[in-house]
Amino acid sequence: MAVQDATSEVLVDTLERSLRNRRIAKHVGIFLTLTLLWELGSRMGWLDPLFYPRPSNIIRSFWLIYFQNANVWFHLYSTISLVIIGWVLGSMLGIGLGALVGFNTVIRRFLKPYVIVLEATPRIAVAPLLIAALGFGVNSKLAIIMLVCFFAPFINTLSGVINVNEERLELFRSMRASKTQILRKLVLPDAIPVIMAGERLALTAALSGALVAEFIQRDKGIGSLILVYTRNLNMASAFACIFTLTIIGFLIFKGMEKLDHYIAYWKYEGGRERMSSKRKRTMVEP
Amino acid sequence: MSVSDQPIPLSGRILDIGVRFLPHFVLFAVIIGAWEISVATGLITSIIIPRPSAIWSAIVELYITEGTIYRHFFITLTEAVVGFAIGAGVAVSLAIASSLWDPFRRYVTPYAVVLNVTPGIALTPVIIAWFGYGMGSKIALAAIISFFPIFVNTLTGLVQVDEDREELFNSLGASNVQVFRKLRAPAALPLMFAGFKIGLTTALIGAVVAEFAQATDGVGVLMSRFSFQLNMAASLATLLSMTVIGLILFYSMEFLDDRIVFWRRESRRAAASRARARTWAAQAKK
Amino acid sequence: MVKHEQSMAAAGDVVVSGLNVGKTFAAGTVVALENANFDIKRGSFVSLVGPSGCGKSTLLRLVSGLIEQTSGEIEVHGTPVNGPRADISMMFQKATLLDWRTSLENVLLPTEINGTPSKADKNRALDLLKLVGLEDFAFSFPAQLSGGMQQRVALARLLQTGADILLLDEPFGALDEFTREHLNTELMRIVAEVRATAIFVTHNITEAIFLADQVVVMTSRPGRMAKIINVDLERPRPLSIQTSVEFNKLVEDVRETLGAV
Repeated sequence: MAVQDATSEVLVDTLERSLRNRRIAKHVGIFLTLTLLWELGSRMGWLDPLFYPRPSNIIRSFWLIYFQNANVWFHLYSTISLVIIGWVLGSMLGIGLGALVGFNTVIRRFLKPYVIVLEATPRIAVAPLLIAALGFGVNSKLAIIMLVCFFAPFINTLSGVINVNEERLELFRSMRASKTQILRKLVLPDAIPVIMAGERLALTAALSGALVAEFIQRDKGIGSLILVYTRNLNMASAFACIFTLTIIGFLIFKGMEKLDHYIAYWKYEGGRERMSSKRKRTMVEP
Repeated sequence: MSVSDQPIPLSGRILDIGVRFLPHFVLFAVIIGAWEISVATGLITSIIIPRPSAIWSAIVELYITEGTIYRHFFITLTEAVVGFAIGAGVAVSLAIASSLWDPFRRYVTPYAVVLNVTPGIALTPVIIAWFGYGMGSKIALAAIISFFPIFVNTLTGLVQVDEDREELFNSLGASNVQVFRKLRAPAALPLMFAGFKIGLTTALIGAVVAEFAQATDGVGVLMSRFSFQLNMAASLATLLSMTVIGLILFYSMEFLDDRIVFWRRESRRAAASRARARTWAAQAKK
Repeated sequence: MVKHEQSMAAAGDVVVSGLNVGKTFAAGTVVALENANFDIKRGSFVSLVGPSGCGKSTLLRLVSGLIEQTSGEIEVHGTPVNGPRADISMMFQKATLLDWRTSLENVLLPTEINGTPSKADKNRALDLLKLVGLEDFAFSFPAQLSGGMQQRVALARLLQTGADILLLDEPFGALDEFTREHLNTELMRIVAEVRATAIFVTHNITEAIFLADQVVVMTSRPGRMAKIINVDLERPRPLSIQTSVEFNKLVEDVRETLGAV
């Protein structure tokens, strides 16, 4: 029942490969051509600025929000800080409960129907309820973020803890390992890759959760900014904000990838090599 | 190899099922009971957490007495399904095209990656500005958000190469079209359906979030409205219908998956075997 | 050189014995093993050979203490078997290495479970890896090793605790013939060197005879010990012995026993 998202690797792989093969010039070329056509079309009045904000305006907006007015930083800080705190708290809760439920067959059996129901419900839909209950402000935003990023780590940790390889269990039993030892030396390390996958999903969910909370509360944060700009039909600035989120999303993607390479090192060729050399160095001492 | 080969009487089977579900019923009753008492005695403030009895009255009113919910239920369900259909249609087409023509894949990939890392939810205000307050914007957001997981999963499915099988088809002199139709496409179905399941869930989320932003009809709107009227009981009663939508979508897709990708479950394999044997026998008679 | 602890008792006394051992599953409906009687002397190499379902793996697991017998008694070093114990070490069909640990760390696993590994333990592990020819791969991860190499690490792990009773459950079954033959030779060399007692399960008749001092032929439905055949061939055994007349007579003997029932 684990929630997986391993497949976007195939695309980033393709992308990185083609970038390396000097096709980068072609990619850039195509991109620039499209942008220029867009710009031209907009200036000629063929393209409705509502749907197709002029590229030069978008660039100008970037300049405005980042440097001249520099208003985006405040909102960025608001959104990102909440996302990170909510993610850490929510996913820790998910991991903790997932492990707890995973180790206890009775609790698992009783919790199963509730988990199924929870899984089917779009958790982000609870946002208005939480805002109404906890009031506008940081508390409800945090609650929403924690709620949306609780589930994937919970399910993944649960799955990781339950699905321990039978043969490995037998090996440990044959070595007379205690329950704690089995936990520490087998179950936990084995579950790490799945847990990491859950964390990655949780972080993306946290970002979405924050945006939805900001759409409703409309006080601060990138979401509120997008809303305000769109309301004022300032599509260029709205798009500048959206592209900012693209950059953030990309940083999250790459960041989590690096983290995964570090923590679940044994799944990656590079990680194995790195750890091999490291272990060799630490062992060979007098 | 059972102890007795007599068929179990119906009454016995009902009792069996009853016994299995009884603990769950008991637990549920206990939770509801404790909840009701806590709110009634003021242990928990009823502003944030309504009484089960209040929720029940709301359910009765919405679903039975006044039946207001059904119109909204079907609207949201339609938005999610249509949005999913559009997103899936585009995603699968693009994925097929990408798998068949390498250059296409290379040049489409960067834009797909950008779409992936950007939180789709961020587009909500923009989509509403473009498509207005009606169902159109909900469907559009659902389609956009569900596009990516389906695209990535389908592409990965089509691109994964089983060397042994490819070799077989090669040795039989199969054309490219035949390889695609008889090997790649069926082999891709499991992953495709995995993508569909994710896409369907995200489509529902898209529809609901768009409803939050601005709409007159839909369960998202209803929930939002009740929440801000501080009518928590009705809000939760509405949340229930969202869960039902989620369950309907999930199990429908499970059913399709089971039927179309029949070779993954023994019972389905057996049924398909029998069906094919019958058709074969019928044809042989002619 | 890697040494195993040796008691004052001389070679030739019984270290593993079984009396009327039986094991049934599913409330008595599946008889995996019945009426097994055996006495295994110290330092001997015993093969259990037979088709699937003959109870050979079951018997091995009963001796190891991983499962409990339904009837009869099993004793190791004079004491009844109640569960996995320190004087018995087991190797399985799959190498079952932990992929987040290096070869060295995998070999040290049994020692770690029984306490903190000392300097001596670490050196022993390195020596064992040398013994199986993997000293250059001490810091490699399982994913970087071939199937045969992984089984060799598992073999080193088997020997780490210094237990003198070694149980091996078709450890080389998944490997290609050349690797298997090589490992068979290595195994015999190592077992002789550390003076352990080995019980080896296989469905490969050639392998069973090649390795053993005694071959226990087992038949299925129900699982039982059909015949015990002594293998009096010279040691150390070269691979070429497999073409000799004596060897093939033994093969015939085993086949007949299997075919007759």
